[in-house]
Amino acid sequence: MNIYVIGLAIYPPAERIMNERLEEMVYTTTRAALDDAGVTRGELDNVVLAASDEFDGRSISSMLMAMPAGAYLTDEIKVTDAGAMGLCLAAARIASGDFHLGVVASWCKSSKTDVEGLMRLKGEPFFTRPLGLNCAVTDALFGRAVVERWGIGPEEINDRVLAAYQRAAGNPRGVRHRVPSPAEVADSDYVSAPLRQGHRAPMTDGAVSLVLASEEWVDAHPEREPLARLSGVGWATDGYQLGRERLGGMHSARIAWDMALKRAGLGSASEVEVVEIESQTGFHEAAYVRAFELEGHPGLSPSGGPFAQNPYFCSGLVNMAEAVLQVSGRAGPVQVQGARRGVGHGCHGFAQQANIVAVFESVEA
Amino acid sequence: MSEKGIGGKPVVFVDSWTARYEYAVGEVAGKFMDGLKRKKILATSCSKSGLTYLPPRAYCERSFEKCDGWVEAGLEGVLEVATVTTIGFQGSPEPPYAVAYVRLDGVDTAVGGYVRGLDLGDVEAAMDRLRMGTRMRVEFIDQPQGRVTDFYFVPA
Amino acid sequence: MPEQVAVVGTGQTVFRSLDRERTFVEQAQAAAIRALDDAGLTPDDIEAIVFSLAPTAFMGVTEAERWAVDHIWAGGKPMMRVHTGGATGGSAVHAGYSLVRSGMFRTVLVVGAERMGETPDAQYFLNQIWDPFYEKDLALQTIVAGAFLGQRHMNIHGTTEEDFARVVVRQRRNALKNPHAHLKGEITLEDVMRSPRISYPLKLYDCCPRSSGGAAMVLGDLDTARRCGGRPAFINGLGGVSNTVFLGDRVVPAAEMDLGGVEEHRIASRQAYQRAGITDPAREIQVAEVYDPFSTLLYPALESLGFCDPGRAAGLEKEGAWEPGGMVCVNPSGGTLCTNPIAVTGLVRNIEAARQVMGRAGDMQVPNVKQTLATALGGSGQFVNVTVYGQDHH
Repeated sequence: MNIYVIGLAIYPPAERIMNERLEEMVYTTTRAALDDAGVTRGELDNVVLAASDEFDGRSISSMLMAMPAGAYLTDEIKVTDAGAMGLCLAAARIASGDFHLGVVASWCKSSKTDVEGLMRLKGEPFFTRPLGLNCAVTDALFGRAVVERWGIGPEEINDRVLAAYQRAAGNPRGVRHRVPSPAEVADSDYVSAPLRQGHRAPMTDGAVSLVLASEEWVDAHPEREPLARLSGVGWATDGYQLGRERLGGMHSARIAWDMALKRAGLGSASEVEVVEIESQTGFHEAAYVRAFELEGHPGLSPSGGPFAQNPYFCSGLVNMAEAVLQVSGRAGPVQVQGARRGVGHGCHGFAQQANIVAVFESVEA
Repeated sequence: MSEKGIGGKPVVFVDSWTARYEYAVGEVAGKFMDGLKRKKILATSCSKSGLTYLPPRAYCERSFEKCDGWVEAGLEGVLEVATVTTIGFQGSPEPPYAVAYVRLDGVDTAVGGYVRGLDLGDVEAAMDRLRMGTRMRVEFIDQPQGRVTDFYFVPA
Repeated sequence: MPEQVAVVGTGQTVFRSLDRERTFVEQAQAAAIRALDDAGLTPDDIEAIVFSLAPTAFMGVTEAERWAVDHIWAGGKPMMRVHTGGATGGSAVHAGYSLVRSGMFRTVLVVGAERMGETPDAQYFLNQIWDPFYEKDLALQTIVAGAFLGQRHMNIHGTTEEDFARVVVRQRRNALKNPHAHLKGEITLEDVMRSPRISYPLKLYDCCPRSSGGAAMVLGDLDTARRCGGRPAFINGLGGVSNTVFLGDRVVPAAEMDLGGVEEHRIASRQAYQRAGITDPAREIQVAEVYDPFSTLLYPALESLGFCDPGRAAGLEKEGAWEPGGMVCVNPSGGTLCTNPIAVTGLVRNIEAARQVMGRAGDMQVPNVKQTLATALGGSGQFVNVTVYGQDHH
């Protein structure tokens, strides 16, 4: 798979962005990504959007968002699963040979609406919605399931959260949350046992755009040095019904991980220097570390992951952008020295129902 | 297969959604709305493409540059297209009503608004007075609120 | 080397206002089963899924595709959902096509369902598609966009309401041979002209219904096509284009393409024809399934797709050019005017176009079909995609 990232931009995130409307944020981010890549909108032959009508408060969000994302008179398509899924489809489009230069754009203003209320609407009306299942409750069920499966103690969860905040504090591209004290995490109120308020990565507003190019395009433009090569991508979904195996089994996570690494010609996490995980809670990190065999990995979410910024719908794509920055040596204060291969991960659906993994490699000069 | 309820009819669950949103207006729409309160219609312009836009945009879709100017639109213009709607929809005004897109003097794109001052009882006759190219005039309501319904079109 | 992509099976449910006997996920499942049966495949043969689903507000469960996972045997597999408004079904086919063409997967199930009748408040949700500050207060609906489109075509080419009505008569009659179609019947020009006015020039009969049902298509590479046997339909060309939501940008002299001419179809079809090696669509394409939620859309679409010169399509309708047996058979299924389950309407267009090539169109089958075309349209008429099917791979 020879697809290249030739530019990207991450909107300066905040807990609440009120000075620019969504269209303006996305224009700003996409324009910055194009400038970073050194290409103009007119050169694009395709655009892939990843957005959620419900988060955006529009019934067909792309009607208003396609143009700000650079799609004027261009072949544009939209997925709704998660920001990271945009990268999957964009990769397929370029790998098909039909497209050579495209933008992947995603965004999320979590502050715009009652997210938990929205999540509750994901429940089918007969068996799920009457139980009031939403993000917090299903993440709690997930937490419970993984704790039971692996015998994880609460100290590990608390420690992981604190460490993530600490890493995040050094990330200039994040919101720069204040690092909480251990007691603030450990003694925070339960939201839904065993999930405590302090275990959850706060949701924020943000946007991210990447410019992807085919090998053919890159060869034809030797003056443009790509940031990274997308060497493998994988994604998979678990079933909808929650149950112990579904929650603690990490099946789709493992399938996505294996698919991506296999496509990249890699065997395990020991062959990559950075792995950016979408840890919406401390329980997520604990589970993914085990599922992806990342115990003791020195490059675990150096950006801080969602504890740095968490534009909920596109946090996975932000992770992927961070992985690209790492392998291209542009990650700044959180740079892992010598990073040549990086993984970006995203999850979506109730209790990480689905997972997406992308592997990036640095490009020789 | 669904269970049949009493009387053999399929069972139905009823639920309703309410989702509230806080839409950030942004700078451009904010200035436009303020302009309406002063009975002015403000358009943005892009010096690279030369286009002026209503509704105003923060960036030019053609050049993909930020719009870098503001233009006060004329309060008369050319009707580009209109329709008379005779059926009621949820959330819409009492029918019949007419919506038109008018290209106001000094602006390249057309802006939408309701049409008043026309008898809409005879649809064909009303449509006859709303042909492409008809000059239309903008009127404002007495106390503009900062919404697009602060103004409407009448035949000039 | 890019892979060849073939349609090896399709399935639909009978479309009607609302299916109270089945849930959303059961509708999707029914369509998936029919497509798998048609292909002679089992769920285990499917490597990836593309779910076709537009606004979920109609059926009241957000991300309903996630609910459907267990019902369409997607557990443990890669699945994505595509949503481009009315164009969704066509975009979903394009996404599935890329997944196979890239060599990433050998078989892909494209599936979706719609339950527009589940809420009486559909119009309220459709009103939420417009800009919340500038246009939502204007009670715009897609019907108004269709009305404007018709206005522009009438002004520029002198098309009349009767001309548009002829489209409805032909297509309702075609739908009599379509067991899945929602609206069907022998109606007259007068029936259309006397139907209640909605938004000038559109009257009730000029507008599509709101339909519910499911549809599915199985795509496969060459090996899969050989394994499945029968006559597959190869996707030889595709193209897509998006334009601005603002209608006011597209009715002015400065517009690069006028709303009335639906010129986006020209851009999208030009890409598709170039990829498929088609230079004269009217002669090389025998059946066109054109996405037409309003009667005002068909003539400009046919003109923009290159089947005839601008302004000629209405005259050709009168001459019978678009009938079965005419120059190009247009919407033998009845088209979107007869059936519009928004989430999958574009998929149905593609299914009907593919079935014609596969020789599985039943009573609608046009003889000697070599190549067909399907379109899908969404947003304020701003998203257009085109797909070309052929008996042989190009």
